[in-house]
Amino acid sequence: MGENARSDNTVEVRGLTRAFGVRKALNDVSFDLPGGAFLSIFGPNGAGKTTLVKVLTTLLNPSSGTARVCGFDVVTEAVELRHRIGLISHNPLLYQDLTAEENLLFFAEMYGLDDPKARVRELLVDVELDHRRLDVVRTFSRGMLQRLSIARALLHRPDVLFLDEPYSGLDPHAVEILDGLIAQIRGDHTFVMISHDLDKGLELCSHALIIANGKVVLFEDRDDIDVEQFRETYRATVGTGVA
Amino acid sequence: MTQSSSWRQFKAILRKDLVMELRTKEMVTSMGLYALLTMVVYQIALAEAGDNFDVRLVMPGLIWVAFIFMSMLGLNRSFVHEQDQGCIDALLLSPVDRPVIFFAKFAGNLLFLLVVEFLSLPVFSFLFLQGREGFGNPIWLVAVVLFGASVGISGVGTLLATMTVNTKGKDVMLSVLFVPLMYPLLRAAVGATFAAVIGGPGTVETFWAFMMWVAGYDVIMVLAAYGLYEFVVGV
Repeated sequence: MGENARSDNTVEVRGLTRAFGVRKALNDVSFDLPGGAFLSIFGPNGAGKTTLVKVLTTLLNPSSGTARVCGFDVVTEAVELRHRIGLISHNPLLYQDLTAEENLLFFAEMYGLDDPKARVRELLVDVELDHRRLDVVRTFSRGMLQRLSIARALLHRPDVLFLDEPYSGLDPHAVEILDGLIAQIRGDHTFVMISHDLDKGLELCSHALIIANGKVVLFEDRDDIDVEQFRETYRATVGTGVA
Repeated sequence: MTQSSSWRQFKAILRKDLVMELRTKEMVTSMGLYALLTMVVYQIALAEAGDNFDVRLVMPGLIWVAFIFMSMLGLNRSFVHEQDQGCIDALLLSPVDRPVIFFAKFAGNLLFLLVVEFLSLPVFSFLFLQGREGFGNPIWLVAVVLFGASVGISGVGTLLATMTVNTKGKDVMLSVLFVPLMYPLLRAAVGATFAAVIGGPGTVETFWAFMMWVAGYDVIMVLAAYGLYEFVVGV
């Protein structure tokens, strides 16, 4: 696990453009992210953050340009790439009428895990949901859903973890658990996180990216960031409106 | 992607759909209720037709009108669970070949459709054929046409339900696309069912001629749906 994540440039984006009709949600986006990095993506609503993550996770095809994650092209090597990435979204991406255990076992089968039951049990203990494993997900609180969603994303031990506003709507206990899990696996993974919370995003990241109107406004190493100047740039981009 | 992992994924998706349907009974209940209510309306509509009216002459058409609209109701529901909470993204994010998703969803839809059809048929017979002349040919011929036509309905329906699940007014959109594409199959299914129900000299040959039509439609449309599925989900 994590072999590719530790090599240079786990994420390589070159001239990435994605259009919906005449509107360009992503417009000539380029950046490189080294293995083991934590990238926080900021930007106003409709800036193109989620579209960028959808392209990098193979859920959307780009209109032009290229993107490689873990060395795999997101279009031509999508199936191979999907073994190496995980996604935690503000949506739990879980089947409401299956139990916690059934949900994880289903995705374990989809990823072809060797011993799905053992891995599922291990993760349910990690996210403190083992006692609710036989309960239908529909009965879970928002925090419990997000914890189970984390377990789903980590099932196949991905190298790169994409987080789309993962803290949205979480209670303090769930935030604590998510922080703990990120800290626990941080050394072995590359993270790409969308956040509206500047403090949280800057606290976690090794690299920061501001995107507005589908274009990269700023991409910097965390060590090179002047926090006050960064906040000013962010405030200015929020005022630029949607793409 | 090895063949064995594709088979494992196929079974996982199908099992997941079966477990959820057994738990919620959303698809089978809505389709079954629709079929039952349609039959009641048919019975009222034909109440004044008199004892001399041979209901078998219109029965094949009535059956297939009910089953086509019933299947649209079920197909519309078949992707609701995937859309709910963004599950379709998690499914598409897993390393599964898109045709595997198609065949698993197709198999599930076919199974649910057949269950309701085979439960509806005795009710239909009870309501319309009680005290009248029964089927002219062996009833298993009706079972053959139900199965054959349901393959085509489920194949095309699964593709169209995937296409329309994220569209505005998906119910209308599915109907607009589904009914015209069903026309050749519907024509053949009604013809085969008529031959099976009426009986008499030459009807078995007519039945198999229509069934060839149904089989040809199934092969062409299921292969077309299989070929297009990657394109439909891979926006």
